Amino acid sequence: MADLVASPPLSVQRTAVRIPRWASLGVLFGLVSTAAIALYGPIGVSGTYPRFIGAVSRRVAPEFAASNPYLVKMGSLITQETMLVVGLLIGGFAAALISGSRAPAADIVHAGETSVGKRYRDAFVGGVLIIFGARLAGGCTSGHIISGITQLALSGVLFGAAVFGAGMLTARIIKGGHAS
Amino acid sequence: MTLVYALIVGVAMGALIQRVGASSPRMILASLRLENLSIIKFMATTIAVGMVGVYALSTVMPMHFDIKPTYVVGVLVGGLIFGVGFAIGGYCPGTCVVGIGERRKDALFALLGGVVGALLFTLVYTLIETPLIKPLSYGKVTIPSLLHVSPVVVAVAVAALFLTAVALLPTERSRRA
Repeated sequence: MADLVASPPLSVQRTAVRIPRWASLGVLFGLVSTAAIALYGPIGVSGTYPRFIGAVSRRVAPEFAASNPYLVKMGSLITQETMLVVGLLIGGFAAALISGSRAPAADIVHAGETSVGKRYRDAFVGGVLIIFGARLAGGCTSGHIISGITQLALSGVLFGAAVFGAGMLTARIIKGGHAS
Repeated sequence: MTLVYALIVGVAMGALIQRVGASSPRMILASLRLENLSIIKFMATTIAVGMVGVYALSTVMPMHFDIKPTYVVGVLVGGLIFGVGFAIGGYCPGTCVVGIGERRKDALFALLGGVVGALLFTLVYTLIETPLIKPLSYGKVTIPSLLHVSPVVVAVAVAALFLTAVALLPTERSRRA
């Protein structure tokens, strides 16, 4: 998959255009997202988190699970979305293995992340906020931004604008050297 | 059978996210700081190809569309909270799973945070439903339905706009002085 850069024909001059990776992989992802909607439905991820809470609480606190309207609304963990999340784990693992790329255990991205522990703290805090925000909005990057805008949904456009607006502003503020 | 399709779609999606670098918080922050737009360009290309693909196919076969409802307050407030978390952690709900697959430890913390976030949302859902989810709720609104224009036409126009922007904007801000 990494080698989708077009190999120039023999007769072509030296200025042959190299297709950047984001373009070739973006086209492939667009085809995958189209195939999903043709086969079963749009891709999505974030609903899996509360469905997981539901699956656990039905075991350890069945009364809470049965009386919580949100867990009842989200339903069983056995859904296409859960399968997709399992696939993400496998796909990430396989692609890293096959390509031989080694990801850092922790990417330091803010000036305030002066220790690995602080990086973990930021990842955790970010994780809380993205899922809370996604559940409030009814979808995340894949459900609202990719699938939503692909289907020309107004909700996807609104969500995408809010995410990138707040994200760019926050990244700019944090960059000043005081992370979170 | 659809569970198998979803698993295959997930594997393909996970591999593409890993290869393009979207599971790297460094790449996400570089996008949000407008230093390297390759992830944003990847997403815009995906969406452009997808919208033409689904609406072109819809003219010849039934498609499994599923439009998310527009409840303006919840979608916008949720998006703002998401955006802040996205910039702090550098992960989204799917990319942290891909990150765990490629053995990023911070991705595991993002996932754990996500589970806590889901639990918090579950606990406050009845409190926030009335002020944030019920107001300005318009149901499944699409841009073609608002404009009264054929979805195929809108898809081609928006895709052309996205691809033009992606082709014209520089990917990297060069400041190596």
